[in-house]
Amino acid sequence: MASREIVQYRSPLRTAYGIFAVVFLAAYLIWSLLPLFIMFVSSIKDLLEAFQLPAVGDWGNAIPTFFNFTPTFAHYENLFVRENFGVYLQNSLIAAAGSAAISVVLGAMTAYGLSRLEFRFKKDLFFWIISTRMAPVVAVIVPLWAIFRGLDLVGTLPGLIIAYTTFNLPFAIWILKGFFDNVPYAIEEAAMCDGCTRLQALREILPLVAPGVGAFLVLCILFAWNDYLFASIIGSGGAKTLPAATRGLVQPQNIQWGSIMAAGVVTTVPMMFLGLLIRRYLVAGLTMGAVRE
Amino acid sequence: MAEINIDRVWKYYGKTVAVRDLTLNCADGEFLSVLGPSGCGKSSTLRMLAGLEHITAGEIRFAGKRVNDLPPKDRDIAMVFENYALYPHRTVYNNIANALRLRRMPQAEIDKRVRRAAEMLEIGHLLDRRPHELSGGQKQRVAIGRAIVREPQLFLFDEPIAHLDAKLRAHMRGELKHLQRTLGTSMIYVTHDQLEALSMADKIAVMHNGVLQQYGTPADIYNHPVNEWVAGFVGEPPMNFVDCELAGAGGDICVTHPSFSVPVTPEQRARLSDTTAGPVRLGIRPDDVTVAMERGPETPIEAKVFITEPIGGDMLVDTQLADGRRLLVRTKPGFSGRAGDTCWLGFNTSRWHLFSSADGRAYF
Ligand SMILES: Nc1ncnc2c1ncn2[C@@H]1O[C@H](COP(=O)(O)OP(=O)(O)OP(=O)(O)O)[C@@H](O)[C@H]1O
Ligand SMILES: [Mg+2]
Repeated sequence: MASREIVQYRSPLRTAYGIFAVVFLAAYLIWSLLPLFIMFVSSIKDLLEAFQLPAVGDWGNAIPTFFNFTPTFAHYENLFVRENFGVYLQNSLIAAAGSAAISVVLGAMTAYGLSRLEFRFKKDLFFWIISTRMAPVVAVIVPLWAIFRGLDLVGTLPGLIIAYTTFNLPFAIWILKGFFDNVPYAIEEAAMCDGCTRLQALREILPLVAPGVGAFLVLCILFAWNDYLFASIIGSGGAKTLPAATRGLVQPQNIQWGSIMAAGVVTTVPMMFLGLLIRRYLVAGLTMGAVRE
Repeated sequence: MAEINIDRVWKYYGKTVAVRDLTLNCADGEFLSVLGPSGCGKSSTLRMLAGLEHITAGEIRFAGKRVNDLPPKDRDIAMVFENYALYPHRTVYNNIANALRLRRMPQAEIDKRVRRAAEMLEIGHLLDRRPHELSGGQKQRVAIGRAIVREPQLFLFDEPIAHLDAKLRAHMRGELKHLQRTLGTSMIYVTHDQLEALSMADKIAVMHNGVLQQYGTPADIYNHPVNEWVAGFVGEPPMNFVDCELAGAGGDICVTHPSFSVPVTPEQRARLSDTTAGPVRLGIRPDDVTVAMERGPETPIEAKVFITEPIGGDMLVDTQLADGRRLLVRTKPGFSGRAGDTCWLGFNTSRWHLFSSADGRAYF
């Protein structure tokens, strides 16, 4: 097998490109990190201090002005003591993890079947599955709400989990089928000749799809975690999640900027840790399907 | 250990026929080689034996018991796959050990077997690598190792040494044959290399286009091919074929051609029975033609040297008959002719073959 090393040849163009790449990446890094940084700093500032913005053009004083504050955890206290964010955090976790787990388990089983079996109308079935994702969420949210209300699922965590699963599952099947397709069936055949049952043979190849499945699990979690539309409509009432609860901090008379920033931090940090935790697999998983070896 | 019967088996892939009405037996402890060109249905046959492919029609029996509906794990077979099918995430050691682990063999015994197999296959130094760090030939040997550490009732090998270099292949032929003899396990060995089949097998089944052409011992297949196709496929360099006429001349039946007219032997005449005239195909192996620079009683046929190819211990002389037809001869390296020289040929008529021009069937 060819190695993964990419041969590079030195040329002026390459050097120029290298410099450009570094500059671009630096700019991109600032562009993406700055808002997070401001959010974090603002969340530990007093409201007055937070609005002490440097005047346009007065760049010399910008940094000192920006950092001129005494850290306070008042906003976090507000969130967790008065605003019940502990419960919302828990709701978010349950809804995201629950729907992601269900989507991936059901999705993997379906994807495996679609990848390995030949049957009539398979293509049509497959297309139908992905076609359920073609309508944007906003287009179906009203009828969906009516159905959910009829089933008494509005405002409950199971309702939210089902809603997220409905939207994650087709996607999971589609993506995971790609991962299974990339694992030659011959490996399972070899396992069966080695003495495995059909199911044990499937278990033999699981390590090969695990990075992909893991990566997709994270994508499902992210989808549910960051969702606002379902959360505000299906989850409203009993199953408020972090994004919906954050929206609640915008009150007509009083926009609690500090608490909103703190809520932003509370929402972002778990996902960042998750990202760091599975970074290795995420990268491997997302690129694995790209090349057929 | 078991006797294997393949009984009137057919294999269809959709509308494609891969195997047609195949009946074959492999006696207990026998080494059966399935020989044929690419696409003739060898792998399909083997995969049906392994239980990896549905049997469209017919029956396969192991020790008299029908196995059509048994999954691979209940057939007690060990298979070497044409495309290796190694576990990509396991080391070579674990690839080989996997089947033994599944059988809950004690670790010490596993270790002993894996190392012994690795040594025989000359992959002892690769045990810690993963398949993607191996060359094609190394992978293929790992695939063999995975099968030979087991003691199944049947070995199924699908072109197991096709990707090794010539020297290693020769070595592995000996090793595998020795292993099979020592274990006494029935073996069905698929190959497209006639040398492998001739040198290793007890019995050879020659297949072409999904149809069994001939089934017999290597000597049978080599010396008495049943048709022109088998004759041309088995033997290296391949048999020469010349279009001739059969003609009676003064009580003899002669094979005639613009360049020669040679009588058949009395036994051969008996085999011809009703066919005494008309077009036939003469088949003669390069080994059974003599070439000389002088005309003599043994070499009465005139030809021209087209090209000479020294191949180490022997020399191949490609000659051209009067009508332009080429005839390959194997001779000693001392042969002095050069391209364009006139030379003289003689046939070893006791070892030549005649085939029907119409359907390729062998008269003798
Ligand atoms: N899965 C399949 N679907 C359709 N046709 C197939 C399939 N597998 C094999 N065939 C066809 O069946 C015939 C026999 O194939 P098979 O793999 O048994 O050949 P083979 O003798 O093993 O050839 P090779 O020496 O190239 O491995 C071929 O014509 C092939 O195209
Ligand atoms: Mg094959």
